[in-house]
Order: sequence, then structure tokens, then C-alpha cells
Amino acid sequence: MSVVQFVVNGLLVGSLFATVAVGFALIWGVVDIINLAHGEMVMLGGYCSYWLIQLAGGEVSVGIALATVPVAMAVLFVVGYALQRVLIQQVTDESLFLTLLITFGISIAIQQLAIQAWSATPRSINVGLADPSIFVAGLIIPKMKLLAFVGALVLTLLLWLFLKRTRRGRAIRAVAQNPQASELIGIDVEHTRAVTFGISAAIAGGAGSFIGMILGLWPQMGLNYTLKSFVIVVFGGIGSIPGALVGGLSLGTIEELTAGLVSSTWTLAVSFSLLIVLLVFKPDGLFGQSVEGEQ
Amino acid sequence: MATDPQTGSAAGTADTAVIRTENVTKRFGGLTAVDSVDMHVDRGEIVGLIGPNGAGKSTLFNCITGAYEVDEGHVYLNGTDVTGSSERTMSQAGLVRMFQETRVYGEMSVEENLLVSSRYDTDVLSQFRTPSQETREKADELLAYVDLDGLRDMEAGRMSFGQQKLLEFAMALMADPDVLLMDEPAGGINPSMIEQMLDYIRDTNTEQEVTILLIEHNMDFVMEIADRIYALAHGERIAEGTPTEIQNDDRVLDAYLGRE
Amino acid sequence: MSTRDLRTRLQTVRAYLGTYGWLALGGAILVLVGLQWLGPLSTSRASLLFFAVGLFLVVWNLLLLRATGVLEFAHDHAWTLLAVFAVGAVAVQAAGLLNSYWSTVALQMFMFGVLALSWDLIGGQTGYPSFGNMAFFGIGGYTAAVLFKNYGVALPLTLVVAAVMALVFAAIIGVIVLRLRGGYFAIATLGVLLVAIQVARNLSITGGTDGIILLDVPDQALIYYGMLAVLVTEIAVVYYLSTTRFGYVLNTIRDDERKATAMGINTTYYKTAAWGLSALFTGLVGAMWAPYNTFIDPATAFNTAWNVEFIVMAFIGGTGTVIGPVLGAFGIRSLVFQIDSLFTGWQLVVLGVVVIVTVIGLPEGLVGQLKQRASALKYYEYGGGAAGGAEAADADATEGGND
Repeated sequence: MSVVQFVVNGLLVGSLFATVAVGFALIWGVVDIINLAHGEMVMLGGYCSYWLIQLAGGEVSVGIALATVPVAMAVLFVVGYALQRVLIQQVTDESLFLTLLITFGISIAIQQLAIQAWSATPRSINVGLADPSIFVAGLIIPKMKLLAFVGALVLTLLLWLFLKRTRRGRAIRAVAQNPQASELIGIDVEHTRAVTFGISAAIAGGAGSFIGMILGLWPQMGLNYTLKSFVIVVFGGIGSIPGALVGGLSLGTIEELTAGLVSSTWTLAVSFSLLIVLLVFKPDGLFGQSVEGEQ
Repeated sequence: MATDPQTGSAAGTADTAVIRTENVTKRFGGLTAVDSVDMHVDRGEIVGLIGPNGAGKSTLFNCITGAYEVDEGHVYLNGTDVTGSSERTMSQAGLVRMFQETRVYGEMSVEENLLVSSRYDTDVLSQFRTPSQETREKADELLAYVDLDGLRDMEAGRMSFGQQKLLEFAMALMADPDVLLMDEPAGGINPSMIEQMLDYIRDTNTEQEVTILLIEHNMDFVMEIADRIYALAHGERIAEGTPTEIQNDDRVLDAYLGRE
Repeated sequence: MSTRDLRTRLQTVRAYLGTYGWLALGGAILVLVGLQWLGPLSTSRASLLFFAVGLFLVVWNLLLLRATGVLEFAHDHAWTLLAVFAVGAVAVQAAGLLNSYWSTVALQMFMFGVLALSWDLIGGQTGYPSFGNMAFFGIGGYTAAVLFKNYGVALPLTLVVAAVMALVFAAIIGVIVLRLRGGYFAIATLGVLLVAIQVARNLSITGGTDGIILLDVPDQALIYYGMLAVLVTEIAVVYYLSTTRFGYVLNTIRDDERKATAMGINTTYYKTAAWGLSALFTGLVGAMWAPYNTFIDPATAFNTAWNVEFIVMAFIGGTGTVIGPVLGAFGIRSLVFQIDSLFTGWQLVVLGVVVIVTVIGLPEGLVGQLKQRASALKYYEYGGGAAGGAEAADADATEGGND
């Protein structure tokens, strides 16, 4: 396989990483929380789609598969809203470490419940396609991956439009910048934060549906995505959606290149090492705000 | 001892100036927070630093203590060029700084806050011993001095703001400062405590022979306590002189009342 | 009475009501167990669990009621108490009073005591919460396993080498990660742990994903004494340090690192020392665990769930205290054992729930709660703000604007 093929694979899957990361960045920027359970939202979204498809017979057409995405997103919105409103809100104003700990606890609880409910065996979503791949310029591009790529971009774009153009989106940005002032002009800050969490979970869940279709699902897949999101957000800058996009595409490409040129067993090691390196040497990110605030 | 206010601002020579800044400039992105500021504090003086919000006073402090690296200019401590030195080095050289928001070690007891502030227990062996008799005695003295004796076991963060201010002051004294930088010592406390603060500062200046540079918004306070005053606005030094001179300075009045 | 005095008084009343409430609940549970309404105590695991919970509630809340006295007693007799514990633990094993099962439980309790206390040294005392301390455990474990299996090195020597390896690793990683603050440090250390897992999976010397199997393992009693020895030593060291300037400085780094630096403290030295000490003890028990477990692989050596577990132990017991993490370890480990035997596979869910409940309801931990209760009583006795003398009391009669 050529290097170009690796790069293309990387871009295709990287867009999903980016979408997941955007949700992660949203919570971090608005609710000031590093959500270590973010990856579990991805996992749950994937399983949502999976079970809906099982209900529909097990192997479905592209149309039905796509139809499960909004449903998964809706479910995850509710889950995210509830988590923030009921649990995480209690410690929002405490130290960062406490929010890390509580979200890690939630992450573990969800993972283990998933194992109990659905067993640890990996699952995948089977979509029936006549020709699974298209061939362009000597490159193999699986249709599902292309679909996922487009889907991820669409989700990201929708989120960006939502934040920029709608009233609710502006309210969210207001709360991110100045909670006290927002409260004064009548914005329900707690509700807005919970809505943000819900949206973040929904985005992650939508990405999870696509991930289920191209990469497969297992209960403990979440942590990897959480860490990847962290790398991407640190790289691209917290407030920046373009940054997350660039970061996600880059990370995907790096991973695929590592897998192709070195060995697939080293991909995760490379990603996580990148995390450490970025935190230490480039905490400002390429775009957007810096990760390190002033003392 | 204090410079004679009658003779006005005698330019301190390098011999007597404990702190001197020459042309110190600090920029943050496009904003020049401190612009070519020259100033000095002579040994034994109490010098005030005033100016409207955003004038650059705290930034100048940070430049002097080494918390910020200056973009241009030099900082001298007792005649030695200390530009670029770290806050830690400056502190060990006797330049102790207090913070506007009053920083104490919140979860440690009042007594522990004092014990750990000594400048002298820094050799390796001392680290693994309980605080020395000398250190304990000094801490006891200071606790009595600021009247926090009854609260010695209290978690510092649970005390009121005024009590924490007194603690921070005591901690600064514990470090046996040569020069003390105070950031709004009269802020957030009531009139009778302000009187106390004036006494403490005078006492520290004369009895303990500590040179003092302070930022303050409370005009009465500054006029009362300072030998000389510098006024900053928009990062620049706009005036310097005795309290009387400053009170009558047009540029200072303009800056505060915004008459431009 | 000023509003603050009134508020303190109300808080104290609420606290007392809470304490009496829990006391009553604990007592009720004990009564139910006694009446055998929860199964016979001698045979039923569930009954034993309830008994333990009820007893704990009763004893703990009684202690809370006498908070000041308890703390004073503990401080005055700390070394004696430690000695009593050590001697008792040795005696119980030597006299053969512990069967294999309870010996295992105890041994693991000691080990987690070390893990939690070591975490607390860097996390609770110094304020650098590491999500990757298990990395040291795994390094210690793999070092011991490789030396023992491939080179036939005697176990005591493997312990020494393992400890040194953990220290070296800590020094190298510390240079990189100790520059980061708070949450970012936590994530970076998590990254380190995950990289360690990947590396262990890929290298042949560590046996790849299959790990290393060790036969010819030492007697369980020996490991029991070993873990106990490390625990007692660590408690002694940490307790002693907490009374010295070194211990105070660690706390200043936690409370306000900028202030500490401004006051002339070289925080890098102290952070690194705490980090190294933490690594040393963690690596040591890891080296003992490998032969005891007869087996080490990436998942057990660098167990992320254990990492969270001992953080929670430190948390529940009370971060920043010496005995808190140890008590938390004892309590949680025995709880996990019981849950495992009653509802296999659910212990991690329970752990997750415990984390959530603790973070929300008891963030200062048990010993922390004890200390706060004692502190509140003392403050209340002194009459609130008047304690500092007239000047201090008047200090903030105004709201005062901060410009």
C-alpha cells in the first residue's frame, strides 16, 4: 500500500476523531470541565445504532443505518444533559482534579455496566452495499468510510453553524465567556451548561454511530477516544473548531502512517506520547485559546 | 532613615537606592503595560505607587520581583543588575512581596504558614528536622505581634480576609525582608484596621529597618504613610514627588479624574 | 451574635444532627444483624457485610463526636499506635490465625495502603494528582519478573533493583511532567501510563501481550510480611516528614505554588523528591506483587482501574492526611473483596459509584471530616471572629472593594 493510501485512510478516519474532539472542546470551553467520560458517549452512541439496527434485522441498507444516527444523537443528548445536571454540576466550581475524578468514575461505571449488559465481545454494524469500495486513482476508498467522513464533516459544520447563528448558540458562547454576566441578562446558566453537555454528548454519539459502522464497537473503546480528543484539542486550541478539525485529520493521518509504515501495535503508543509532548512543548495550540491559563 | 520630604525627590545614587528601575518596559501582545519607567527606592524610605486601574502598577511590581521578564530596561537591587532574575532568587536576596488578593497557604494552619516562611531553614539537613527553636520563637513573636495567637491552629483559608491579610504580613516579616513590596495593604479592610496597618508599616520601617514600596488606591493612606510617591498612568510614569507635590500635580489629577 | 457566629452555630447543629443520624442508622443495622434478620452472621457473607457497615457507622460517628480528643490522642501516641499495629499484624500471621483467604485480603490491604499513601504523597500533600502512578508499579513488577525468571536473581535483590528502576523512571518522566499544573499534569501522567501499557505489549523482554509467568514463588506469609514492612516503613517516613519543613513545603506547593516560589522555595526540588519517594514505594510493592501473583502482563502491571481505585482510597480516607489513605485502602479493598464474592463482576461499577458519591458528598474524606469537625469545634469555642483579638475581629467589618 502506498503512502498516499495511508494518508487518505488517515484523513477519512481522522474526521471522526475531529468530530469527537469538537464535542470534547465544547464542554471544556463552556463548562470548564475536562470530561473523562467523553469517550463513553461515543461508545454509547455506537451501541445505540447497533441495537436499533439489530431490531431492524441485523443487516440493513445505508438509508436505515444513517437514520439511526439522529436517534442515537437524541438519546445521547438526554444522557449528557442528565449527567451534567444531576451529577457533574455538583462539583463544577471545585478544583479541576475533582471534576477529573468524578468523570473518571462515571466513565468506569458506564464501561462496566456496558460490559455487564452487552458482554465484552466486539461488535460491528453491517451495512449492505453492492460495491463496498470505490477506486480512484489507484486508491481504495471504502464507501462507508467516505460516508462517515462526510457525516463527520456535516456534524461539525452543523455545530459550528449552531454556535454562530442561533440564539441558543450565542447563549452558550456567552456563558462560556462570562457566566456571571450571562446570569444577569437572564440566561439560565445551569440549564445552558447542561444543554451544552447534551450537545457534546450528542455529537460524540453521532460520531460513535459512524465509528460503529466502520471500526467496530466494544465497551472499553471509550478511553482511547477521550485521550485522542485531548491530544487534538491541545494541538488545535480549545476555542477553535477549525483547530480541532486540523488536529483530528492530522492525528488520523499520523496513526495510519504509523500503522502502515511501522506496525499497527505502536499506533496508540505514538498517539499518547504525542499527548505528553504537546502538553509540555506546545500548550498554546495552533489556533484558539491556550490550554495553560495565567496563574 | 526617611528622606527629608522638604528637599523633594533627591535622585538616589546607586549607593543608596535599594531598588532602581531604568527604562523598564513590559508588553503583552499589542499592549504596553509598563512603558519606560524609571524609578528608585532609597534605603529606609516608604515609597508609594499610585495610579488609576490599568496603569501598570502591579505589572511594574511583577517586573521588579522577577515574576515577569522585562522586554526592555534594567532592574537593580542594591546596585546590582538583577534584570532577568527569578522571583525565587530575588526573594532569597531579601526582596519580599505581598499580593493584592492576599495569598496565604489555605489548608495549612496559621502557625505552619509562618514556620514555612522563614528564609533561613534552607540547608538540606534542616528540611528533615522539625522547625528549629529559633524559627519557632520568631513565629510566636510574630503571631503575638499581629494578634493572631488564638488562631494559630486555624486553617488559614478559613479565616476572614482581614485576618489573612495580617497573616500574609506576618509571613512577609518572618522572611526577614530587606525590602517589602506591598500590594494594596489598605484594601478590603475597615477604618480601624487601616489605622493598625499604618502603625504596622511605620513600625516595620523604623524598628525593623525595612524599606517599603507599596501600591495603594486609598489616597489618604498613601499620603499619610509615604515619603515619596510615583504616579503611573497608561504604563507611564507621569509624576513623582512628596505627597504634597503629588496632591497638587495637574497630570495626576487629570489621570484620576480623566480630564483630558 | 454576628451573622457569622450564627451561621457557624447552625452548621455545627446540622453537623451534629447528621452525626447522630448516621449513628442511629448504624445502630439500627447492628440490631438487625443481631436479630439475624439479615442472615446468620457466622455464615452469611451479606450479613458480614452489613455488620461491618453498621459497626463502621457507629464507631466512626462516635469518633466524630469526640473529634478534638481523638486527634490529640492520635498525635500524642502516633508512634505507639503504629508499633501496636505492626506487632499485631505480625503476631496474627505468625500465630497462624489467618487462613489463606484472610491472609490474601490482608496482604492486598497492605499493598493498597502503600499505593494509596504513595499517591497521596504526590497527589494529596503536594497537589500534583497523578493518574499514572501504576506505571511505577508495573516497572517494579516487570523488573522483578525479568530478573527473577531470566537471570535467576534472588528475590530480595530484585526488590532493590526494581526500586531503583522505578526511581530512575520517575526522575526521567518527572523532568517532563512536573512542569505541568493540576489537571494537565493528571492527563499527562495518564498518557504515560497508557504509553507504558503499549510499550509492554510490544517488547519481547516483557513477554508482549502474554506477559511473563513465574513459577517457584515465595511463601504467601513472606509476601505478607514484606508488604506489611513496606507499609509500616512508608507510614513512618511520611508521618515523620509531615512534621518537618519538607512536609510543610510540600503543602505550600499544593496550596499556592506561586506564593511558595515568591517566598523563595525551590519547588522543583521538593516536587521531584515527593514524586521519587512515591515511585520508590509503589515500585517496591509492584516488585513483590509479581512473584506473588505468579504472573505479570500489561493489563495487570499497568492496571488503570487500580490507579483510580487507590486515588479513591486516598480520597475517601482524606487526602493530605497520613492515615487517611491507609484507612481508605483497608476499607475499600475489603469492600471490593466482599462485593466480588457476592456479585462477581460488579466491583468496578460499585467503585465508580463510590467515586461519584464521595466526590459529591465527602470531598474532604473521612479523616478530613474528622479534622474539620475538630477545627470547627475549636473555632466555635473561640467565638468565631473574636478569636484573633480585637484588631483582627474588626478587620473586615466592611465588605471593602478590591480594586
